[in-house]
Amino acid sequence: MHEAQSAVPIARKPRLRWDREVLLKVIYAATLVLVVLLVMTPLAALIYGSFRSSAPGVEGDWTIANYANLASANLLSTIWLTLLVGVLSAVFCVVIGTAMALIIHRTDFAYKNIITALIGLAFYFPAFILAMAWIILGSPGGLINFLFRDVLGITDGVKIYSVAGIVFVTILHQVPFVYLLMRGPIISMDGVFEEAARAAGARSHHVLFRITLPLLSYSLLSSLILTFVLAIEQFAIPAMLGLPGHITLLPTQIYLLVRFPPTDYGLAAAVGLTLAALTSLAILAQRRVTRAGRMATVTGKAGHLRTLPLGRWRWAANTFCFGFVFLSLILPSLILIYMSVIKWYVSNPFLAQYTLRNYEFIWNSADAHKSIWNTLIVSGVGGIFGVALAFLTSYFTVRLKPPSYRLLDFTASLPFGVPGMVMALGFLWAYAYLPLPFYGTLALIIVAFITRYLPYATEAIGGQLVQIDKSLEEAAWVGGATKLGGLRRILLPLSLPSIQGAYFLLFMAFFREMSSVVLLFTSNSKVISISIWGFFEGADWGLASSFSVLTTLIIFGVIWLIVWLMPAARRV
Amino acid sequence: MSITVRNLVKRYGQLEVVHSISLDVADGEFVSLLGPSGCGKTTTLRCIAGLEDASGGSISIDGKIVSEPEKNVLVPTYSRDIGMVFQSYAVWPHMTVAKNVAFPLSVRGVSSDEIRRQVDEALGIVGLTELKDRYPSQLSGGQQQRVALARAVIGKPKVLLFDEPLSNLDAKLREGTRVEIRRIQRRLNVAALYVTHDQEEALTMSDRVIVMKSGHVMQAGKPRELYHEPVNRFVGDFVGTASFLPVEATGDPGVWRTADGTSVCVRRAAMLGNSKACQLMLRPESVSILDDDAQAAGSNSLKGRVLEASYMGPYTEYLVEVSGGTLKVHSQFDFAVDAPVQVHFNPDSGRIVPGE
Repeated sequence: MHEAQSAVPIARKPRLRWDREVLLKVIYAATLVLVVLLVMTPLAALIYGSFRSSAPGVEGDWTIANYANLASANLLSTIWLTLLVGVLSAVFCVVIGTAMALIIHRTDFAYKNIITALIGLAFYFPAFILAMAWIILGSPGGLINFLFRDVLGITDGVKIYSVAGIVFVTILHQVPFVYLLMRGPIISMDGVFEEAARAAGARSHHVLFRITLPLLSYSLLSSLILTFVLAIEQFAIPAMLGLPGHITLLPTQIYLLVRFPPTDYGLAAAVGLTLAALTSLAILAQRRVTRAGRMATVTGKAGHLRTLPLGRWRWAANTFCFGFVFLSLILPSLILIYMSVIKWYVSNPFLAQYTLRNYEFIWNSADAHKSIWNTLIVSGVGGIFGVALAFLTSYFTVRLKPPSYRLLDFTASLPFGVPGMVMALGFLWAYAYLPLPFYGTLALIIVAFITRYLPYATEAIGGQLVQIDKSLEEAAWVGGATKLGGLRRILLPLSLPSIQGAYFLLFMAFFREMSSVVLLFTSNSKVISISIWGFFEGADWGLASSFSVLTTLIIFGVIWLIVWLMPAARRV
Repeated sequence: MSITVRNLVKRYGQLEVVHSISLDVADGEFVSLLGPSGCGKTTTLRCIAGLEDASGGSISIDGKIVSEPEKNVLVPTYSRDIGMVFQSYAVWPHMTVAKNVAFPLSVRGVSSDEIRRQVDEALGIVGLTELKDRYPSQLSGGQQQRVALARAVIGKPKVLLFDEPLSNLDAKLREGTRVEIRRIQRRLNVAALYVTHDQEEALTMSDRVIVMKSGHVMQAGKPRELYHEPVNRFVGDFVGTASFLPVEATGDPGVWRTADGTSVCVRRAAMLGNSKACQLMLRPESVSILDDDAQAAGSNSLKGRVLEASYMGPYTEYLVEVSGGTLKVHSQFDFAVDAPVQVHFNPDSGRIVPGE
């Protein structure tokens, strides 16, 4: 047999099939090149820009002055203030969000369903609308100060244009995020550890503080870091609440340096890289915590979790949960609706004159139509491209692992550490040197959004791809399918829920995004967030409110539509 | 030959996990690859399927070379014309039973009438005709196993590959499925290569068994040969149950000396080569156990003491301490723990094998 080997005919290579595997290689090469270009272009441009003495596209010299200027007292205090806001927001968010998750899922809290639904809505309530509503409520002439001064006789009212105001609204905005992060670990905890503690004689509060919370410590730490990152890279809240009171954080500092004379693009780049360094370090720490946490003794076996009776603390739990959704969702919504239907501002609704002229204005405004249309295109179409790229990226990095897949994996996860504002600044620097007619187009905004959110979508899809048993795909190859065939016929349908989930995630993120777009828009490529901010800056609170009400209705409508069309999307 | 493997080598980076393995499976033959986990048996199977790229040697299926990396031949899995049953069944959850089974035909562009006919036939063979419109989540583990089997045999592949297909089933179901797999394979008269770490499975199902260890073939042969004539201690130990005592050659052919100097007569021996350290292998059923004061039943008697007794039903398994080691003995008689006993075996039933 061994001798006869050379006489054995070689199996015929079917031409067409080979070509289809070549196609897969071409797709991989295209994905790798595209991801590297998308991510590296703005980052490289930003690093380049941070060493230039002039604006993008203008003759200049190499310099390290931008970094030297970082050390100015002004910027150092900005960095310090940014960290302070980040830490304060993160700590309060994690305490409040975890407490709510524990109340809702571990006690006999009576209004579980309605609170969960309202927190879900609050999660999608855009930051710029929330900030605006709270300015209307808390500004010197606002409703709260009116109540304090004219009803209660307190002259020292609240100051919303302050660091405390920024932290307060940030907390309202981010607690739902913490709740969603903590809900999973809290529900999937193995009850046997608590049972063991109770068997050992521990009372409920002992179980909570000595068993439950320590077991959740990795999740808590991870949520804390993520909330910190969101708080230091956010733009809308510090811009709307901070800039009027001359309080600048790093993202708003970049905005001021780029959009207001005297502009300093080089210093903006250095500030952007500083912010990116902070967020990247935090994200790296968060990844280490998550990886270490996998070894912890939370097994994921559900069941056995005892529901704790609230007893005489029921009123406190009710006040806490309803109080939160009242402040973060209901009160802001009410004040915006009120503002949108009155002729001019009166604190007492019984003395107000009502009108629909704001809605009429928006109904007839070509400008408003254009920004709604732009936003829908950016979210709807951009989401499709983003999900397609994310699916290919995670297929190659999680399943196929061709040579150099690590480069793809690393590059695709880099934007995790790059705030939207910084990414946009990078694109701003890059476009000046690229021979592409991109500036001021929706395409540039879509490209910036996709780059910014690629790792989130990749993670959502990759998380499910990992769980699909390898042999399901291998069985298709054995059955005669090519790799591309196995991808299309087995992996794609099996990962459909995560693809839908990733689309939902991207659509919602793109729809509400403000920080990535504020440096890139022109009058032709305005999106809703920019239009509303524009009305608001122009002191036209009525128009801003009516547009916000419409936007919120569109968002909630889209949520309803997506959940109805793709029930699986919600689970991701 | 349906499957011919010559000098197959598989490396992961620097690490070589399969060292130049050769094996054949004839048309209609059922061959098992048996070995402990990590011995390279699954890797070998996956190289034959093309799910892993071999690093060296050649593999041919039905006379056509499908893998010969030295000549840059690596035929992709989809053109190898094989059927395979996976350990996890790998039944696709988003397709009905019929769609799962039809997959190999539908990707090859067979007409839908023909597909329907063959799916019915394949489901008939495994007895799942009524369940064809169900989804896998509505099936039991055993039924999913049958779907995987039907999917593997549809379209009459040249060879059938099995990757520990029974390890996820419970013991009762496993025995029935063994018989079933063998029946289907005989009916289709197709070559089958079956990977398992369960020696009972390998012995009961196979025409031939190939025992592997650390990426090498230790021995290949009929189940009886492996059981009665293992070439070394590893095979003797892995196939069936056996006890081993160190012995030394005396110079007389067929006479060996145990640790305390007792001479024993053993007629059968494996190829010992230059191996000085030899082992006497004894199967528990071929050793008898007697009271210490009973009259010696012949020359091959060893003095010992009962360490443990486990009642198994048809017999009691005794662990007897003798000079140089312990022996497992099956007996229908009762002996007390700690009782002094003597064990006896026939010169034809022991076997001398090279030590480790």
